[in-house]
Amino acid sequence: MLFSKRLNSIVAAVFGLALCAHGAQAPQHVKINQLSTTVEDVVVPLPNEIFGALNKLGAVNWKEYVRSEEGSNFAERPRIALLLGTVIADGFIAVQAEDAPAVKDIGQRVLALAKGIGVGNSITPHAKAIIDAADKHNWKNVRQELDRTQNSVQQAMNEVHDEKLSQLVSLGGWLRGTEVLTSVVKQHFSNDGAELLHQPDLLTCFQTRLQAMSDFNLPIIHQIQDALVEVKPLIDVANARIPAESVKKVNEITTRLGNDIIKKD
Amino acid sequence: MNPFAKVLLCTTSLLPAIVVLPPAIFAQGVDPNTVYARAFAVLAAEPYVKQGFHVREDYWPGDLAPGERKAIRQQLFKGNEYWFWLGTEVDHAKVSVHIYNSDGKLAEQPDSWAKDHFAAAHIIPKTTSTYFIVVSVEESPAAHTHWALGYGFR
Repeated sequence: MLFSKRLNSIVAAVFGLALCAHGAQAPQHVKINQLSTTVEDVVVPLPNEIFGALNKLGAVNWKEYVRSEEGSNFAERPRIALLLGTVIADGFIAVQAEDAPAVKDIGQRVLALAKGIGVGNSITPHAKAIIDAADKHNWKNVRQELDRTQNSVQQAMNEVHDEKLSQLVSLGGWLRGTEVLTSVVKQHFSNDGAELLHQPDLLTCFQTRLQAMSDFNLPIIHQIQDALVEVKPLIDVANARIPAESVKKVNEITTRLGNDIIKKD
Repeated sequence: MNPFAKVLLCTTSLLPAIVVLPPAIFAQGVDPNTVYARAFAVLAAEPYVKQGFHVREDYWPGDLAPGERKAIRQQLFKGNEYWFWLGTEVDHAKVSVHIYNSDGKLAEQPDSWAKDHFAAAHIIPKTTSTYFIVVSVEESPAAHTHWALGYGFR
């Protein structure tokens, strides 16, 4: 109780700080490539960042996109990492649909996959928290725990210098998110919906990362590389609009990849 | 003395923020100064959680000399609203965070702010695109000032 009061007072103090802080004076223009240090890679968004933006464009029947397929059991760690990313994205979709049984099932699958790549210990408390929050229909907490799950998996991989596997988790999530985004926009096309696909730098970042994964000599990696080459011109349109035909094409490509990720070769 | 112990002795005000940090940040190999900088960023974010922002668990750390800047490339989506929070553990440092579009033009809302160990920048993107989050250490008594950047969206 005392701790809670203390926390509240500190939060209030910080909020007060924001109110009395000086408006930050910023240069109106910068030359990005002339900054004194290098520019970092593109930050990969969480699937629910895209789903949140999509929701604001109109009601989406998220139940339509909840996936219950278990997926194959893979022995190859890169394949497990890709699948794990897609399953976490499926978790965010199930939360959008407020589908408690699906969320609980996904919590179990995430744990099994995390064990498969040797990071189960760091995921167990999150999987439990996901299931508990789904039981209580506390969707905000489920979202937070899914985010924590992805973060913990990637931190655990980075600690043992498995950064490439960590990147595959992000890529799996992005592919599943893009598959669902394009499905929704394809059904009810709008220019604002299609604009959410405008992510050329992120795609380039994935391409660069995949090129550095030559040690993962797996068909699925080559399939994704080829697919990204197909997707790039469809979404890299500068200031032009992304037409319905391109959305449909990206959907076909990502749906095909999605199936390839969950099924054995 | 261990720098982490030192900062905890210096102030207890960050303790609640450190308590709510994800366990991953305490993982082996994470610099204690980063933990402390991250705690300030979390503290800056806390009031916005009550306004419905989902604060992402991931964060981006680094250290800069006075006068140095660093840009982080970020994909932002039209329709969402974002706050970026920067924290540093160095007393009397002046840090800032600003958001630029892909042409290098300032793209943030006018309510972005900076004070003491914190800075924050707010954006409601006009287009779905890549943006640059520019972190800068304007002044600091330290040769290298650790910082941590987090963000939230709604």
